[in-house]
Amino acid sequence: MSPETAPPLIAAQLNYLLSHFPLVVKIENKWSGSKYYPGILDRFTLVISYCLDVIKWDIIFDAESPMAAPDVIFGPDDENFQQFLVLRGEEEGDTKSPKKILNDWNSRDPTQLMLLIQELRDQYMSFQKKRVAEVDDDRLKFEISTIVAREGIEMHMSSGVDKRSQRRSNFQCLYWDTNINKMVPGCPWKHKQKIYLQVIYPVEKKYVSTPSAPRLKLVSTTELKSIFSIDDVKLPTWLNGMCMAEYLPHLEESLENQFGRPLEADPVFCRKATFLAASGVFTFLVHVLISTQFPKQQPELMLQSSQHFNSQGAPIKSLFLTESPWSPRWEIPLMAERICDYLTDEALNFKRYCNEPQLQH
Amino acid sequence: MEDPSIDKVAISGPALASMIQRFSTSQGSVDGLIFGHVSHIAPTLTDDSPNSTSSATLIATITGFFCSGSTHSFYNSSGRVDPVLLRRLVLAQAQAQSPSAHLLGWFSGRRKTHLRPSLREFSVSNALSSNPNLTFPIQNPPEGPSNPSLVPSLFLLFASPITDQTIHTHEYRAYHFRASKHSFEPKSIQIVNIGPAFRAQYENFSPNSPFPNLPFELRVSPMIVDRGEDNLDQLRQVNKDQSELDMCSEGLEVGSLSRLMGSEAANYATGVEDLYEKMLVKIESLTTLVEKSSAKVLEQENLNRKLRYKAARSAALE
Repeated sequence: MSPETAPPLIAAQLNYLLSHFPLVVKIENKWSGSKYYPGILDRFTLVISYCLDVIKWDIIFDAESPMAAPDVIFGPDDENFQQFLVLRGEEEGDTKSPKKILNDWNSRDPTQLMLLIQELRDQYMSFQKKRVAEVDDDRLKFEISTIVAREGIEMHMSSGVDKRSQRRSNFQCLYWDTNINKMVPGCPWKHKQKIYLQVIYPVEKKYVSTPSAPRLKLVSTTELKSIFSIDDVKLPTWLNGMCMAEYLPHLEESLENQFGRPLEADPVFCRKATFLAASGVFTFLVHVLISTQFPKQQPELMLQSSQHFNSQGAPIKSLFLTESPWSPRWEIPLMAERICDYLTDEALNFKRYCNEPQLQH
Repeated sequence: MEDPSIDKVAISGPALASMIQRFSTSQGSVDGLIFGHVSHIAPTLTDDSPNSTSSATLIATITGFFCSGSTHSFYNSSGRVDPVLLRRLVLAQAQAQSPSAHLLGWFSGRRKTHLRPSLREFSVSNALSSNPNLTFPIQNPPEGPSNPSLVPSLFLLFASPITDQTIHTHEYRAYHFRASKHSFEPKSIQIVNIGPAFRAQYENFSPNSPFPNLPFELRVSPMIVDRGEDNLDQLRQVNKDQSELDMCSEGLEVGSLSRLMGSEAANYATGVEDLYEKMLVKIESLTTLVEKSSAKVLEQENLNRKLRYKAARSAALE
């Protein structure tokens, strides 16, 4: 066999996993455990995204018997996860449980490994949720009870000792399930593009009079970063005594304002898009037309009021705005930023223009 | 159920070396069973160390093992233990292991992996330690009303480093699976050798050898030939002793053992030399036998491996 390859049956499992797993998964390391054929890869370290971080699990196949089910070695801190899995497996007759998949392993079905990893990750999520629920902290219990119904929440418990040798558990929680894909129709992204809110509640020794504010951070998926800089979003301030269920609507609103509201886009050639935008109470549409010379040439913009109409009853439109500041050498975020700045100014001009008594044709 | 905690795991150097040898010469991953006993050792009284107020300890001593040479020898891929396969293995080992040995647990060896129990290993240990049919008593238990019994809960893990290293080639770790907590507790392994540090072990040593009892008076003299019945019994005994002696030496007659005792002990040196010589001959003939059969096994294994690859490749092509 050629050097450094996985046996075909194992390779099929891995390929299916890498191409069909709904979340980000990578193979960080692959190596051979075979004594006689050191070129046959049968051990793999998978890096699976979880709670804005990653979990690393070793998948141990056996080159000697490629038709057998693999074994899994979890991370050094996840010893209790095995316990959770095994005990849970005993009480449930679940057809989807990892135990069941391993029991009925069919090496000819390339979906098996993906199903196993997916199921294990789901169980890992429940495991972390259980650990968080066991934390003895009133604020945390309250926060969880009020937001638990939201979808897409992942939790993680991390314990650490800070400088004052005070034990502190960090509980991370992800909110926000805004699916940007829906906002940009026909986008080419394979994975759902999302913006996450990372919330870390420091849990310190008990009897602290007021619980400290959680640490908040917005994180976006990698592909989204190229068109939208999440770091520029200013988070609404966290008021003392606030809870997450109160905070989230503010945040959602401010994020939606950041984005404008795309109304229409040309999904095939991606040359036209229309957004709904607002400047104070003035609501208007922005039509963006991207020429074939893009990005050498800046996109053409046209504003259209949704509140002002001319004598014929048609909405008032601006002329094509082709003079926006532009350089093809700019980084993409800078291009977007300059267009936004330009639009902010132009919106005021346009509003003034709309409010002028309309000249009769 | 009460779940006493094992404090230490003891194994003789040769036994550990032999386990590592089996692991490192195997084709792939291996598993197997561990036999031995758990004994209660009272604290040794040492005058010169006042802080050694250690309480009594429970030591698991590994006296033997069985290596299956492959994996899944008594469980399936999700770690479920097959009681029939397990019983068959344990029964097959009953002859080879010393009569006082119980099934202590199992071991797993896998090349180039992290030295942490895997999901399957956790499941197998969990299943083994929750099997009520496998309990065994503690040797010389502490005085008290309760005499807790133990379950096969020992797990020895062997691995080799993920990246090849010149000196450090094998790693091992012992765990005690606590059935009550459903978790592994790492335990230190004490390698037992002869020396003052292992005084406590001597107290618990029970000699155990297949070597026959030396017949002190063995005279098949012409004078007692007519005492038929007794003589027949005696002959039968001689034959039995002879066959036992043949297990450890070759071509040595039971009768000649008398040279080591009684009046003939003057020739002691020659007698012992003779015995050792015959023992060496026996070992040599065993070695040749093992060599020949190993060659055949290897040949068969190579053939099997080729067939497996072929099967796997054709399965993937379908």
